[in-house]
Amino acid sequence: MTAIRVEDLRKSYGDFAAVKGISFEVADGEIFALLGRNGAGKTTTIELLAGFQQPDGGTCRVLGLDPARDRAAVRRRTGIMLQEAGFFQDLTVAQTVDTWRDFTAAPRPRDEALELAGLLPKAATRVRQLSGGEKRRLDLALALLGRPDVLFLDEPTTGMDPEARRNTWDVVRELAGQGTTILLTTHYLDEAQRLAASMAIMDAGEIVASGGMAETLAARSGRVAFRLPPGTSPADLPLPVTLEGETAVCRAADPDLAAQTLLSWAAERGLRLAGLEVRTATLEDLFLDMSGSHR
Amino acid sequence: MSYAATYRLGTRLFWRDRAMLFASVITPVGLSVGLPTLMRHVTADGVTAATQLSQGTTSILLSITAFMNVAVALTARRDQLVLKRLRATGLTDGQILTGQIASTATQTMILIAVCTVAVRLLADVPFPANPLVFAGAVVAGSVVLATLGVAYTAVIPRTELAAAATMPVFLLAAIATGVMGPIRDVLPAWVGSTLDLLPTSAVVHAIRTGEVALPALNLAVWAVVGVVAIRLWFRWEPRRS
Repeated sequence: MTAIRVEDLRKSYGDFAAVKGISFEVADGEIFALLGRNGAGKTTTIELLAGFQQPDGGTCRVLGLDPARDRAAVRRRTGIMLQEAGFFQDLTVAQTVDTWRDFTAAPRPRDEALELAGLLPKAATRVRQLSGGEKRRLDLALALLGRPDVLFLDEPTTGMDPEARRNTWDVVRELAGQGTTILLTTHYLDEAQRLAASMAIMDAGEIVASGGMAETLAARSGRVAFRLPPGTSPADLPLPVTLEGETAVCRAADPDLAAQTLLSWAAERGLRLAGLEVRTATLEDLFLDMSGSHR
Repeated sequence: MSYAATYRLGTRLFWRDRAMLFASVITPVGLSVGLPTLMRHVTADGVTAATQLSQGTTSILLSITAFMNVAVALTARRDQLVLKRLRATGLTDGQILTGQIASTATQTMILIAVCTVAVRLLADVPFPANPLVFAGAVVAGSVVLATLGVAYTAVIPRTELAAAATMPVFLLAAIATGVMGPIRDVLPAWVGSTLDLLPTSAVVHAIRTGEVALPALNLAVWAVVGVVAIRLWFRWEPRRS
């Protein structure tokens, strides 16, 4: 089953085309990461999926429903953590959750929602006294209240401390394990790499790369970097490298094998490869390649 | 269920905002009770003058507690992106605004009732001769003014300007119903006739004369104006620019 289906979706604000005909699908119970720089069109995409805006062209379906036409029906089955939204500053955390429970059919008990978001100790605190990260957690608690089938998380961990971030990741994984479909945007590429099974990278309103996280990364070359030993030139090395300042960088499908080749070459000549660094492709490499080369 | 939820929310927030309570409760109630009480004790024909004035002060409560309060509160919630968050729930747009309008109108009706009893005790102003017409006018007037207050947020560019932007409405409503003393008498006749078209004037006219048809028509027209304006121009988020 497909929980979210987007086809040739378009949205412009005046002359500015925010989303230029994107397509992707998110399967039931999958965690999908939508990545991109600021202004790439991620938030507009979420707002279209949540029915806050009408698309100019193309279609999107959430749980088979058109969010622009059946907004209330879609919202009853979805939870949204908006990137930017206000609270009633004078209500306490508990009162805020109680108020939102009033708006929700069959809501979670208040303490369960606060526990999930790690906010139980702050129940009696007024919203205006919460830190930025705590407000994100309250946002998460509200998004989870209705036990949604689909959860939209727009920059969910921005402003959270490392512990809160890990706690949020656990919650997201647990929900996905229970069958919740999750679409998240994030600036933290390690977050996307840890959580998401699939991803799409957006740049200037278009999708420039997409696919399963593991396969996409496996298809990318890894990287071996080291300081070029004194008195040697790149032409002396057994493998092709590029120079980034003092550092020689070798890109290879199998970076471990490349490192072994380079090390035995150095050992034979009594040289040291100082600052040696071996790593497989990360989402960050892919992201920088994609969103940079596209310009 | 959801209408009741947004109604409760509106009511809770109304009584919780201390700074706002001064503007939307203390001030209009003070004027609506204080002015007739003063009039009762300083003029020769005190009771008649106080009664006339008390009927007029209904326009103050309508223009401040219903109109201004909802316009200021909703502008602030729009600009703080609280309305956007409310729309992220399963609530429909209609439920969010209808619950708010009903809540604001109820607080206004309660305050008008309180003032009616207060001026009876403090200024010997008799209870309304026709309680049914009085009640009908107050209920309809409160709902219409709250609806117009919601619609009015469309012309308020940002929160800091909200209270100032509603002042002219309060002043016109008060002048039209004679609360500002004889200002109205020195204005050209056509200005007076125009001011009589205000919904607040219609409510006060119904209370003073017991007439039903014309005030009802006036309020019905204003209700349609309010609802159509909301549908066309109400903004849920601040302008992006």
